[in-house]
Amino acid sequence: MTVQFQAYMLLGALVLLAIIFVFLKKGLMTVKYSLLWLGLSIVLVIFAACPYVVFVLRDILDIEMPVNLVFLLMFCFVLVVLLSLSIAITQLADKCKRLTQENALLEKRVRELERRLPPEDRRGE
Amino acid sequence: MNKPPKVLVLIPCYNEQDNIVQVVERLRATCPWADYLVINDCSTDRSAELLRSHGYNFIDLPVNLGIGGGIQCGYLYSQRHGYDVTVQMDGDGQHDPAYLSAVVEPVASGRLDMCIGSRFITHEGFQTSFMRRVGIRFLSGMIRLLCGRKVLDVTSGFRATNAEMTAFFARHYATDYPEPEAILAASLAGYRVGEAPVVMHERLGGVSSISAVKSVYYMVKVSLSLVIDRLAIKRSRRGK
Repeated sequence: MTVQFQAYMLLGALVLLAIIFVFLKKGLMTVKYSLLWLGLSIVLVIFAACPYVVFVLRDILDIEMPVNLVFLLMFCFVLVVLLSLSIAITQLADKCKRLTQENALLEKRVRELERRLPPEDRRGE
Repeated sequence: MNKPPKVLVLIPCYNEQDNIVQVVERLRATCPWADYLVINDCSTDRSAELLRSHGYNFIDLPVNLGIGGGIQCGYLYSQRHGYDVTVQMDGDGQHDPAYLSAVVEPVASGRLDMCIGSRFITHEGFQTSFMRRVGIRFLSGMIRLLCGRKVLDVTSGFRATNAEMTAFFARHYATDYPEPEAILAASLAGYRVGEAPVVMHERLGGVSSISAVKSVYYMVKVSLSLVIDRLAIKRSRRGK
């Protein structure tokens, strides 16, 4: 691995880390969902800063090219992130369904209560 | 039971402007002893307008939830208003209110927790297409395999539930194509599920919610959900 390549890796990882922090600061992402991304970018920074870790891991897993190990790990990370997003969406859909149902039941109650009011106090429709 | 049970009929309605008025009127004429609630699942046609102008008892879902979420909303309503028996009846005119009491009776008398109106017991009336019957047979066999309960018309949406069963469904009910899943979930949770013979009609107008293209997707999805439900729900004996 050339010094140049290592520098680009480090730069890329730091940019990712910076982007996540900006998102967090602007409130575009909550800490809950950022944890995985933070983990990924920190691991990338470590890999870029001390490639020795990658070489050791490569020897353990017996992968020929060290960069393949990085790709493999990143792919696994992305898979985990995607799975966690699917879980989050499912939970949100369920909450959304409950809210819709409650809203519909409340709307019916309001509609019925309004019908009992004198006409000048009615709103809506 | 001394006093007559309070019965609520849930009528899911999604783009049924051609049928809904006729369905409600027929129900009111045939079964004046039953309350009804139309669940308008965010129809894009004039259904909501018709329901409002006729002064029917209805709820209006602000976003489209699909049949499962809509019916569950009806179960919530029923639970909160303390109904003894809740009946689900399609809004397309397939289900004849003349058979309402046949479906309600086993539940009201305490024989069953859920009673499904089945068109395959007496084989009278509209029997649906051959391919659909094959699909229904398959799902029926699958449910029998998974929980040992023999139900013939597993996709029938004409079903009565008692208060306990209603509360169970208000807590958890499958979202997309819930009819077969509900049978399995109820059976595994230890509720008594059975059938009563009814005669169904062909839908009055409009198009069915399950088109030919979607039916393969439907079968795969329902089969998979059934297997997953079997793995996820612990069988329990409710001491009955």
